[in-house]
Amino acid sequence: MPLIDPVTMSATTKTTPAGTPPVKPSLPVELLPNDLARIISQAHPVVLLAGFYIRFPALVENPAATLLSSLLLVSLVQIGYVILCLPPTGQSIKPAKKVIGAKKTNDGTTPVARPLTAFFALIMSLASIPLLTALQILFGAPISTHLLHTILTSSHVALLVMFPLVYVHGADGKKWREIASFYSPMDEVFGGAVGCFLGAWLGAVPIPLDWDREWQKWPVTIVTGAYAGYMVGKMAGGWLVKGRRIELS
Amino acid sequence: MVQPSVPKPAPGPDSYNSIAAQYARAKAVKDREDRIRDFKKGIADAKKEKGSLEALSDRKRDRFLGEWNWVLGVFVWFFFIHATGLYYFTKGFLLTRLVLEEHSSCAVPPIALAPSFKGAGTIEGGCWHPKSFDKAVVVIIDALRYDFTIPYKNESQAQAFHNSLPVLYDTAISQPQNAFLLPFIADPPTTTLQRLKGLTTGTLPTFIDAGSNFAGTAIEEDNLLMRLKDVGKKIVHLGDDTWTALFPGYFEANISRAYDSLNVWDLHTLDNGVLEHIMPLLQEKEKKAQWDVMFAHFLGVDHAGHRYGPNHPAMTAKLQQMDTVIRDLMKSLDDDTLLVIMGDHGMDSKGDHGGESDDEVQAALWMYSKKGIFGRTDPAYVTPPADAKIRPVNQIDLVPTLSLLLGLPIPFNNLGKPIEEAFSGKRGNAWDNLSAVGRMAAAGIKRYQSAYYAARGIDESTIDGSPQALWATAENALTSSKKEQMYKEAYASFSAYQEEISRIYRGLWARFDVPSMILGVFILASGLLSLMLYANANAEDGEAVEDPELDKAEQKLELNNFAKGITTYDQETTSRSMVRTAFIGTALGVAFGPVLRTVFEGESLLAFGLAPGAISGLVGVLFQEARRRMKISNPFPTSFWGWLAAIFTISQSIGFASNSYTIWEDSTLMFFITTFGIASAVSSLRLEKVADRALGVYHSLAFVILGCLSSYSKLCREEQMPYCMSTYYASSTSSTSAPWQLLIPFVVAGLLPEIIKSFYVGSRSYEGFASIWIGWILRGGLFLSAVFWTLDAADDAEWFPNLPSGLLKNTRVPIAQTILAMTLGAGTTAFVYAPPCIAISTAAGPSAGSEGTAHPAKATITILGFANAHGTRYLLLVLNILLTLLLVQKPMGFGALSLMAWQCLSLLEVLDLNSLTSSPIGPIMLAVLGSHHFFKTGHQATLSSIQWESAFVPLHTIMYPYSPILVGLNTFGAQILAVTFLPLVVLWKQKPKRKGTLRAVATALAWHVGYFATVGLATTMWAGHLRRHLMLYRIFCPRFMMGAMTLLVADAVGVLVALFGFRANMKGVGEIFGWA
Repeated sequence: MPLIDPVTMSATTKTTPAGTPPVKPSLPVELLPNDLARIISQAHPVVLLAGFYIRFPALVENPAATLLSSLLLVSLVQIGYVILCLPPTGQSIKPAKKVIGAKKTNDGTTPVARPLTAFFALIMSLASIPLLTALQILFGAPISTHLLHTILTSSHVALLVMFPLVYVHGADGKKWREIASFYSPMDEVFGGAVGCFLGAWLGAVPIPLDWDREWQKWPVTIVTGAYAGYMVGKMAGGWLVKGRRIELS
Repeated sequence: MVQPSVPKPAPGPDSYNSIAAQYARAKAVKDREDRIRDFKKGIADAKKEKGSLEALSDRKRDRFLGEWNWVLGVFVWFFFIHATGLYYFTKGFLLTRLVLEEHSSCAVPPIALAPSFKGAGTIEGGCWHPKSFDKAVVVIIDALRYDFTIPYKNESQAQAFHNSLPVLYDTAISQPQNAFLLPFIADPPTTTLQRLKGLTTGTLPTFIDAGSNFAGTAIEEDNLLMRLKDVGKKIVHLGDDTWTALFPGYFEANISRAYDSLNVWDLHTLDNGVLEHIMPLLQEKEKKAQWDVMFAHFLGVDHAGHRYGPNHPAMTAKLQQMDTVIRDLMKSLDDDTLLVIMGDHGMDSKGDHGGESDDEVQAALWMYSKKGIFGRTDPAYVTPPADAKIRPVNQIDLVPTLSLLLGLPIPFNNLGKPIEEAFSGKRGNAWDNLSAVGRMAAAGIKRYQSAYYAARGIDESTIDGSPQALWATAENALTSSKKEQMYKEAYASFSAYQEEISRIYRGLWARFDVPSMILGVFILASGLLSLMLYANANAEDGEAVEDPELDKAEQKLELNNFAKGITTYDQETTSRSMVRTAFIGTALGVAFGPVLRTVFEGESLLAFGLAPGAISGLVGVLFQEARRRMKISNPFPTSFWGWLAAIFTISQSIGFASNSYTIWEDSTLMFFITTFGIASAVSSLRLEKVADRALGVYHSLAFVILGCLSSYSKLCREEQMPYCMSTYYASSTSSTSAPWQLLIPFVVAGLLPEIIKSFYVGSRSYEGFASIWIGWILRGGLFLSAVFWTLDAADDAEWFPNLPSGLLKNTRVPIAQTILAMTLGAGTTAFVYAPPCIAISTAAGPSAGSEGTAHPAKATITILGFANAHGTRYLLLVLNILLTLLLVQKPMGFGALSLMAWQCLSLLEVLDLNSLTSSPIGPIMLAVLGSHHFFKTGHQATLSSIQWESAFVPLHTIMYPYSPILVGLNTFGAQILAVTFLPLVVLWKQKPKRKGTLRAVATALAWHVGYFATVGLATTMWAGHLRRHLMLYRIFCPRFMMGAMTLLVADAVGVLVALFGFRANMKGVGEIFGWA
């Protein structure tokens, strides 16, 4: 999970020597153009944060059981969020202009299509769990012990990050290459993803310290970092740095 | 480039085409310029013979070599600066002492017994002095500060540690003939290990006791326990396991109990364990017979201090518990047993120790016996001193006191004197006794001093000062007539003599020289600043533009100018100006050094030459840089990769302030490696060409996965337990390889040449020398090394008991010598003269080209390997070094270092694909890789992990200077390999005529060394700052030493291998393709 450099996180796409992909610039994801979506989108991080705060003592007490038992709740929150706020894949290409132009709320999505897309997105995002687990192991996660903990952490990250991404972008290969190369324009879905990875990365920092605190145990700090990073990234992506891209050089 | 005002040649298509045309044109221009031709007739003549292109190339070569000298100067100067900074810090920080081998013996007192006594010279009567006790119980309450033991009157202001342990004070007052309590002053460093050394040897321990075995912690110099064992006394130990590390095999195995001492959060396990076993040993008759002297070491008070600080209810409870323990001990004591209770050091207000503040050095000493033989020479002395400044005794005094009370000889290295209260008799007037013990201890010290000066090669009589005179006074005093007066005077004189001697040695051995440490840190910090300014200025001097059209035009211009005798190269470069200022400054400083010395007396000439030299050179450089760049450019990195490099370096350096990050450094480095690999995979996904993208992702992932694979190889340090499992050797308690590990070198011999070949084939460079070198020499060398390690294992484990002894050794040593001769001797020579890895292929051109009608079937000449001409040739040198380093690694390290070589090659590809060759991330990642594989080759930042046996790989016996070099190659193999790879960051996949390579290599080397300089500076600063930390001698000090050594190794190898190798490589390529 690479770092984002706040100094160079600029939108300028001019004269990057090696980096710029040839694809035509993709646009950031817009929320569904209705008030409910805007409100839910604001309430969503608050709900997650509150939930995390309440479950934190249990997480420290018994990480695996808590992570497992909270999966259902987190997925319900996420399903609600994507269905009510985000345009499902295939129907998101008509962005801002329409919002400004007409007061048309329906977007041509049938009410059934969105839960169905959400369902398939949820199934597909499960496929990323082995990948995320392998990634953690490469970063030094314990491999012979605590494997269940690591897989559960991956599941939470998949729910937070992969699920909305799949819901919004489907299986668009070009788009996914953009996401994998962290070159997608910032929006609240991609921003959340970047923030989540960065948070989890930073979450590894306190683990080795000899403070003998209960919360230093695996994977409490990683999960905490991921959640905190997701909230911050989601808000920053949706507001502060919307539409910008991460430049490396 | 400076453009002189010369008319530019008219651009025409013909002039681009051939050398002949260029030559003709140049000639024409020259003909027109009559005056210049006359002026430069000499050059023209030379040129007629060689042709202007060649002449120009020669000139460029000269320019390169000249400029290379300046770069060499820069790095030599930085080496000097680093060495000087480390010298000053070390001088103030690491106190060294020579350990003498001599031991005392019962029968040989240092001086004739003045009044002889019955049984003298035997343990039954007392070796050097009549003995008072047969048995002793020595109880150490770790960190028992003196003020814990004396009453505190003002109840309202009393702290948690006050008035909780009254038993010592009360008994000293109520039964003065049975007990006394005194302040007990420790010599810094006040860490338990160092204190135990002091308490048992009677001398002042320092961090490095030169002469002792580095690898082990066991005390080898003469000590109290050695004397006890020597006369057949049985010793039992309970508590802190530091004792068993210091005195392995000394204690009665079935009744001694050692407990882990490092878990400072646990206040009770150890203490309860000691209590469980101590009472039966004292009370039960049969157990009593199993020991003569007992050492019991409680840690609860110390741990309570570390965890909570002294002013905490937990401390009260702990002290009260100790109070009860002491009362119980007193009850179960018999008449012939001496009981000693003492602290080995105190604690500061936060409960920590290690340093030299009053609170840390003021411990308490209490002795008790039922015999009632203690006395006071003054009735007022019955009340124990109100504070530790009054009538303190030194901790080194315990050794002579205990020795003489138990009838033992005083250990040879002792510098202490007998404690007055223990020998002054019931009425406090046994001056004859005091004089006798004082004389005996002083004579021992005198004997030690002569031996010490002899060992150091110093003539004792040339040393000024009073010890000699004091000794004479004391001896004379014994000849006086009035008996009591005589003994009194003699006792006072011998005491004065002892005090003077110990004062002298204390000054020599046991003081941090803080100004010197600060000077060292200052020099290192300024050196780092200069290094970074140099790297930045070098990088900003201008990036070479890659454009074939431009190159041709530029070359033409150069030719023209050259023909006219105009040279455009005399511009001032960063290296030049830097070297000039640095050396002028240093020379001035060195010149003024002796002048300064006459003002401040006392230090050595070396110290006064180095410091002004280094400082004045640094001031010159920094001033020059500041002047050159008046507008301060942005000090922060400007790209993601620059940030990544900075974050890796700086966060790690900050982390060294914490013992956790220092202990877990290997995991941190793996985390950085993965971070970079994932980032570069992400970056590679942005590449346009599918093939590039695939390669980039592949090499990035290979970089990470190989790193993960190598992390399987682990040698855990003690502090990592129990969260770490050593895999470097067959088991965690052996230092030989498991049989399956012997397969690793053979696997490497099979695969590594193929892997390296694949990196050559990619740029069609597996031509010329490369195929022989990699396919045969490298493979053969690896195979021989594998055979070597198999023979070594066969020898160690005695697989073939029938073979004559020494045969295996006699076979494998020549094998190792052959490999070294091959790599370092033949290999280096071959590298210097080797042609580039290229081949020329001729093929029929496309005959049916749509436009190529003018030359229908012209043959095409392709130079295979052209695109990587620099890199593939230099890599041959790296392979030589790699083979050398692999030979001295154990099989597991053999595998790890091979993985590192592969990782480095992948890194080079990734850097090239992502256009990162001029970014600091490349050199920094190489440094991170080097540091990572330091741990993977079976090392830790501890002295005990040094693999001394690697000195014997190609040798039968110790040979200077080869043996230390071999141990160095083993220890710093990974870092050496990294810096050897360094020029490839610039050279890999570069065409022969790339411009500005020298500057780019100098910049890369500066970044690379900068990483080690930053880490070195950080570990130095933390070691200095944390010099009172509990873990100083276990964690921070070894890490500082490793950081310092690594910095110097990186500096030296950077100059000797990277710069010289680069120079030879440029010559090799330049001779064939012409100089850029």
